[in-house]
Amino acid sequence: MLVRYLLATLVAGLFAGILVTPAMYLRTVPLILHAETFEDAAGGHDHGSAEAGAAHSHAAGEAHEEEQGAELPFGRLGNTILANLVAGAGFALALGGVALLLGKRITACNGIYWGLAGFFVFALSPSLGLAPELPAMPAADLGERQLWWVATVLLSAIGLYLIALRPEIWAKVMGLVLIALPHLYGAPQPDDLSSPVPAVLASEYAVASLATNLFMWAVLGVALGWMLQRYAVAELEG
Amino acid sequence: MAARIETASSQSLSLPLATRLTTAVVSLFLGAFLIYGVGLAQSDALHDSAHDTRHSYGFPCH
Repeated sequence: MLVRYLLATLVAGLFAGILVTPAMYLRTVPLILHAETFEDAAGGHDHGSAEAGAAHSHAAGEAHEEEQGAELPFGRLGNTILANLVAGAGFALALGGVALLLGKRITACNGIYWGLAGFFVFALSPSLGLAPELPAMPAADLGERQLWWVATVLLSAIGLYLIALRPEIWAKVMGLVLIALPHLYGAPQPDDLSSPVPAVLASEYAVASLATNLFMWAVLGVALGWMLQRYAVAELEG
Repeated sequence: MAARIETASSQSLSLPLATRLTTAVVSLFLGAFLIYGVGLAQSDALHDSAHDTRHSYGFPCH
């Protein structure tokens, strides 16, 4: 077990998770809070047609009330920081694990490209089918959207590997096909598109979410490369 | 030419796959587990705690 590699990866992930929190509070969180006022105005829990979905998680219908929810007791900011730390660690472990599996070295110099790859796989590609979504916006069944999201992430990752790291021409064509596949198939869409959230807010949010993601992934890629170079080189060359 | 070979080898790891495999698999599974917990798990406690994070990252939510 390459323990130093794992620890360096974790530290880079936690670092990116800390830095993304103020970035979220710059744009995405204020827009989420703004959108939640429309959620209340629309009768409390108008989540569009998804509300009727069998796989919908809010069985009690009121779990989403932020003040009375089932969340951890660290306050809204505290919970978000905690979730960001876990998400940063998760993304870093996934990225570091893939690089190790492929026998590729992430460095401070090429880290930005690994970060951009993560951004493409986890944010840009899924957002083409499922635009970043505000509370109270209409959406299809949660389970179906999550399945499409996971499938898109996996196909985009394999496709990007085939395009970027395989020299054969068939691999590059195959990679493009895999990346396009979930979008040709189509993401689950709600039957009724009418939304209590103003369109301007939604479009501002889509850009804000992607920009925040891009920032996080750029930081993560460079930090991961720097940490691995600084603390795990001996292990990798041993 | 020498510089190009240098660049190519510095981007690749010389460790054999057998040495890398355990760590790589552990890292991938742990990463997937954490991402699932923060972004996808349909538990009220996890959803409500990670609410703003899920929306900001563009995970399917609600």
